[in-house]
Amino acid sequence: MAADKPPSPSRKRSAAWLALLAIAAVELVGHYVIQARVIAADDWAAAAARVRSEWREGDLIVAAPEWTDPLLRRELGDVIGLSMAGRDDGVDGYERLWTISARGHLPPEAPEAEPELDEEVGPLRILRWRLDSPRVLYRFVDHVRDARATIDLGGQARPCTWQSQGRPRGGGLGAGPVVPAERHVCDPRRSWLWVGETVQDDLHLQPRRCVWQHPAGGEDGIRVTFPSVPLGEELVLGGDYYYEHERNLEHGPTQVSVSLNGEVIAEMTHRDGDGWKRLVASTQVPARGEARAGEVTVEVRAQDPTLRTFCWSAYTREAR
Amino acid sequence: MSAAESPAGRAVGWRDHAVGLALAVAYVAVLLASSVGLGMSRDEGFYVDAANRYAGWFEQLGEDSSVAFTRESVDSFWNVNHEHPSLVKGLFALSHLAQQKWELFELPSMSYRFVGMLSGGLLLWLIYVFGARAFGRGAGAFAALAFALMPRVYYHSQLDCFDVPIVLMMTLVAYCYWRSLTDWRWVAAAALAYGLCLETKHNAWTLPAILWVHWVFVALGRARGASSQGWAWRAFLTVAIVGPLLAFGVALFTLVLVPVIPLPLINVWWVGLIAFPVYLGALYLLGRRAGVADWRRFVPTGWVAMVIVGPLIFVALWPWMWFDTAMRFREYAAFHLNHAHYNMAYFGVNYFRPPLPISYPWVMTLFTVPLVTLALAVAGLGARVKAIAPPAWLAKLWPSAEPEADEARTDVLFVGLLLAPLVVISMPWTPIFGGTKHWFSAYPFVALYAGFAFARVVQAARERLPDVGAWPRRLVPVLVAGLLLAAPLVETAHSRFFGLSHYTFAAGGVPGAADYGMNRQFWGFTTGSLAGWFNEQMPDGGTVYPCDTTWTAWRMLQQDGLLDERIRPVGDLPTADYAIVHHEHHFVEVDYQIWAAWGSVQPVHVLTYDGVPIVSVYENPRRARAQPPSR
Repeated sequence: MAADKPPSPSRKRSAAWLALLAIAAVELVGHYVIQARVIAADDWAAAAARVRSEWREGDLIVAAPEWTDPLLRRELGDVIGLSMAGRDDGVDGYERLWTISARGHLPPEAPEAEPELDEEVGPLRILRWRLDSPRVLYRFVDHVRDARATIDLGGQARPCTWQSQGRPRGGGLGAGPVVPAERHVCDPRRSWLWVGETVQDDLHLQPRRCVWQHPAGGEDGIRVTFPSVPLGEELVLGGDYYYEHERNLEHGPTQVSVSLNGEVIAEMTHRDGDGWKRLVASTQVPARGEARAGEVTVEVRAQDPTLRTFCWSAYTREAR
Repeated sequence: MSAAESPAGRAVGWRDHAVGLALAVAYVAVLLASSVGLGMSRDEGFYVDAANRYAGWFEQLGEDSSVAFTRESVDSFWNVNHEHPSLVKGLFALSHLAQQKWELFELPSMSYRFVGMLSGGLLLWLIYVFGARAFGRGAGAFAALAFALMPRVYYHSQLDCFDVPIVLMMTLVAYCYWRSLTDWRWVAAAALAYGLCLETKHNAWTLPAILWVHWVFVALGRARGASSQGWAWRAFLTVAIVGPLLAFGVALFTLVLVPVIPLPLINVWWVGLIAFPVYLGALYLLGRRAGVADWRRFVPTGWVAMVIVGPLIFVALWPWMWFDTAMRFREYAAFHLNHAHYNMAYFGVNYFRPPLPISYPWVMTLFTVPLVTLALAVAGLGARVKAIAPPAWLAKLWPSAEPEADEARTDVLFVGLLLAPLVVISMPWTPIFGGTKHWFSAYPFVALYAGFAFARVVQAARERLPDVGAWPRRLVPVLVAGLLLAAPLVETAHSRFFGLSHYTFAAGGVPGAADYGMNRQFWGFTTGSLAGWFNEQMPDGGTVYPCDTTWTAWRMLQQDGLLDERIRPVGDLPTADYAIVHHEHHFVEVDYQIWAAWGSVQPVHVLTYDGVPIVSVYENPRRARAQPPSR
């Protein structure tokens, strides 16, 4: 074999130019590889059927990555429902976590522990973890209808009127949350002053099924009182403004206070930029006494109520 | 590029124009065919409405021109969508009128879109000719095809919008200006082209600055080796370089800005009129003093003609500008200087006001232009770097290199036009416009450098080829082009109905881009892909909340025969039979509104592209309950 001669500069240059043909080939092959890995609707249906076969009340189901969520809801939306899709942060109240995972992604809720179930269904992976989360005793948003709402007008607390007729209103980009048909109407002249259940996008565009409670302004408070709330050990409340009203960081804070049987057990100031902000309050306070249940009031105030589209969700919990 | 190959020396003849024409015709034919079924986008709907209104003026012009030119008539017809100039929308209107009279097109939407498609075709012709003159025929032909096969360019080439027409006009201005540097006959063409460019879209206002930077290189190149010395020569050269910009600035300020900005300089408008004569007079006198043989070589005549004549054409061709010109120009300028910010998702963050990350246009270019085209362009640029460097740097960096005998500094022009749009979008104060279309004017020059690299790849392949005879060697360019354009072709074809959702191999395709949290679409055009599904679900008609799709776009789907006439769009979401959500990050709000209004989070249908959700469709539970059980 003849000794190798070092390539001439022109041969090196021509090799460099010809390397571009390799990039062309890689891109072409890459395109078909990407196509071959596309997850079909049938794969989602098969994975959903597998989850459905063992799903039980108290199971949380999520998709990973997050952009696959509409596909998950198409298959299992009837099981997931509004309360699961629009849940507060975390996994409180759920016993098991199901995940349909695509492209190797895991959800932020995934525990660090090994899953108790790990199966592949076509290109999708089904994982299930047992959760060690507290038991949720009462979700306030489920009981808005049973609550009493009041508004301070001229220094006097006046009851808001429960309205159950009509139909939801709203819709469209920038329109904010839908106004539900059923709600406590606090001031008909100020159409935003109502208390009721809706779904709002928080600062990070996450869905929050929550209780709309827009402050009235000045010293006037709006209160909503829930009777006979099973108290457990703690009360967790999270709240935020509507995405478009918070992201510009233009307006003033909202004060939120939570009372148990008339005793303030927690307070929170929400400012633009806070996002979905949570407070955790012990319900084991003197005002409770020995009772297992009590009356909980959530009050909001804001000196400047401009675009203070506050919406909150809360629950009481205890260790399992 | 040798002296013999300098732009002035590389001839382009009628055969080249025949090739360019063939490229244009073929591209337009393909665009017409592929646009069938492509839903109309949000902005297209606005321009259809505007074109329909302008068509009324043209009809009045034909019937009674004395009425058509009155202020009342002009304001009545041309007030619509006056934030954009009238040229392209006027052509949409004429094309629409031609359709009404002669039924030239298969579908009504095509009559509006044809002008955009024609712009795309003519642009290929221009790129071919530009490339053939600058780098050779093979480079020009490859550049035209590489440009045509950029998925997002292809998508926008099908639309009745300005984004491809403005690229055509900006590239045409660059070409005419470039030719005018070595051939005075192109001066008038540059002026005319720039007027039409201004009348196409506001991007045109950035061109004088870009071309002026190029002129600095040209002027310094012409000054090299001059025997003149002394203060007069330095003053002459300074005026030659700074003079045009200064004169343009003074004219612009005193004639245009002072009338619209309340400054204490109200009566200095006449300074604007003498700005250019003063500049030219000073240059002449200093040239004589310095003993410059031909002072006119230091005047960018094409550029000067552009900036003087262009604005006049701009006003002359835009009827809405004929009355209250200063005030209306202020309104036009204010709209774009205070442009609303669009929402744009980038790596998982929804940006809604500046600044976008500086990397945005660069990464989006990487993710949306075929990788091989970009790799070729970078390689081509690398090979041409010596032609870009100023002569003084060249001597230091490459002592053995000979300066290129290109008086027109072609590569400086190309690089300037390639970089400027991307740099402008990168700036922290630039409004968030969103789509890649806003820097499309860079892409012809990306394609031209890709074309240059293609020629080198062909040369390298021929060098490596064993002695196989003459005709197989002639096949080398075809085979190389075939391989280099295969991925762009496949990717572009695959992007047909999802042009704005498409991401190339570098992003990992559409699912890869979704993983990165990139924008998935805008303008609501993907509704077109749901027409068949809606027809099936609502054989007796019904209502749909159309999310980001405009009424006009919806109507166009019906006029094109794609969507049942009895399926109506409604703005009242809670009462609709179906509601759709276009999956853009900030549109999740509509998702949640549907959940709250209808109490369900379960879409009945999800339109996907490569497995990625594009549109979710929800059915109103009221309608679902009303359907017979057998359904």
